[in-house]
Amino acid sequence: MDWFEILSENFIDTGGRPMYFLDQVAERYPIVMHGVSLSVGSTDPIDFGFLDKLKALAKRVRAKWLGDHVCWTGVAGLNGHDLYPLPYTEESLRHMVSRVRTIQDYLERPLVLENPSTYLTFGVSSMPEEEFIARLAEEADCALLLDVNNVYVTCRNHDLDPVAYLAAIPADRVVQIHLAGHTDNGTHCIDTHDGRVVDAVWELYARFTARVGARATLLEWDADIPKFSVLQQEVRKAARFRNGLRKAAA
Amino acid sequence: MKPVATPSLGTLEAWMQAVVMHPEGAEAGLRSQPARRFIAPAARDPSAVVLPSKQLNSLERLEIYAHMYYARLVEVMEGEYPTVRQVLGPSAFSAACRGYIARHPSRSRLLNGLSASFPDFLARTLPRTHRHRLAVDIARIERAMEDVFDAPASTPMTAAEFAAVADRTRLWTNPALVLLKLRYPANTFMNALRRGGRPRIPRPRATRVIVFRRGFQVLRRDQEPEQFRLLQALVAGQPLAAAVRASIGRRAGSAERVAQRLRGWFAEWAGAHLFVR
Repeated sequence: MDWFEILSENFIDTGGRPMYFLDQVAERYPIVMHGVSLSVGSTDPIDFGFLDKLKALAKRVRAKWLGDHVCWTGVAGLNGHDLYPLPYTEESLRHMVSRVRTIQDYLERPLVLENPSTYLTFGVSSMPEEEFIARLAEEADCALLLDVNNVYVTCRNHDLDPVAYLAAIPADRVVQIHLAGHTDNGTHCIDTHDGRVVDAVWELYARFTARVGARATLLEWDADIPKFSVLQQEVRKAARFRNGLRKAAA
Repeated sequence: MKPVATPSLGTLEAWMQAVVMHPEGAEAGLRSQPARRFIAPAARDPSAVVLPSKQLNSLERLEIYAHMYYARLVEVMEGEYPTVRQVLGPSAFSAACRGYIARHPSRSRLLNGLSASFPDFLARTLPRTHRHRLAVDIARIERAMEDVFDAPASTPMTAAEFAAVADRTRLWTNPALVLLKLRYPANTFMNALRRGGRPRIPRPRATRVIVFRRGFQVLRRDQEPEQFRLLQALVAGQPLAAAVRASIGRRAGSAERVAQRLRGWFAEWAGAHLFVR
């Protein structure tokens, strides 16, 4: 194991066992924080109380970086605990850029934002998701976490070309990559994190890392979790793909 | 259908939330008054707002989010209330959770507090049978177990610190401690279920239960009425002697008998790390 990623919200407002083990891990390994509730795209006011908690946790575990998703999770004070898609418009872009800048200033560190899996698109969108994300990264001066499985799922769901999507992602902004399994329902795919990475996603990963170079890569497998040896096997496969040994990895 | 006049980001978000959080699904959500207030034409044709894909129409795409909203949160509650689910049965439990989520949508960034008022919701909405009232008591225990799991860490008092306790000393109790007065012997029932038994639904009988964390273990214990009263007084911050006076009835027996019982209770509590620095 080289490093750990934690789900930030699982270690906020909790004591006892979770924090004890987190402290033990943080003493021995680098940690990055990845969240699901920052709701950067929401039109609700920014929750500075929550930012305080994120900041304190990042300090406690000496987080290498801290991130969330290009999405919103609720409005009017509610939280759907899901990653809802944004309409990709100039208005949304201005909104996101402004919020990301404010959050980064408050947290005193760059945010690392991940492309979500999405299951619908809005008619008002005026640009593709990958362009929206690339412009967001440049204009807000934030980093990106590229989830290759999410690229695949989103493109399958919206009849898009994942290769073109990846080509539009600015290499110098990407600090981390996610890989995961998904559920293919035939009519659409759902990002379920409950199985092996499919071959098509490995191909995209190999293609992307060939262009941008190696990046810290995390395998997300958080449902129907297999034996550690199976997980490790999948992680090693990622290393082989990164090194360009696609045939050997397959 | 032609697209609606460009809605603002805020309008789109409020509309989508009203649609996908509707308790009867996205189709009912589209027709709901809140959603129509934001984007009325979408009630007739959601493709005015959400594009179809080659495989799914606009409503089906919204249904994915609507389904996931309830499925995810019910799954969280299944993890928090496994015994309530066992007592009510999976479909009745799921219906109760959906009713609760619709009535009390999450207002927190975290999931810890999602079901904080689920026991009270069950008390208000379940039929008044013994099985359902027992389920309410069990829900209170399982909720307390969640709270105790997340409570801050503390350092238990040492034997030397106990030896220095005087009459007027105030004892500090573990933040990971919840006291519950229940209408049924719910803790005993839960223990029997968890051992794999098939206990009968008990008749009502007032019981007192403490839920606490010792180290990283969340534990439950029944308490005698006077024992529970004394612990309540100590948790409320009363000094030791005053708490004992307020809690032990005149009919508690001889001074020796009272002293013996107190020694037993304090030994149990100290072993459970209920008193901390």
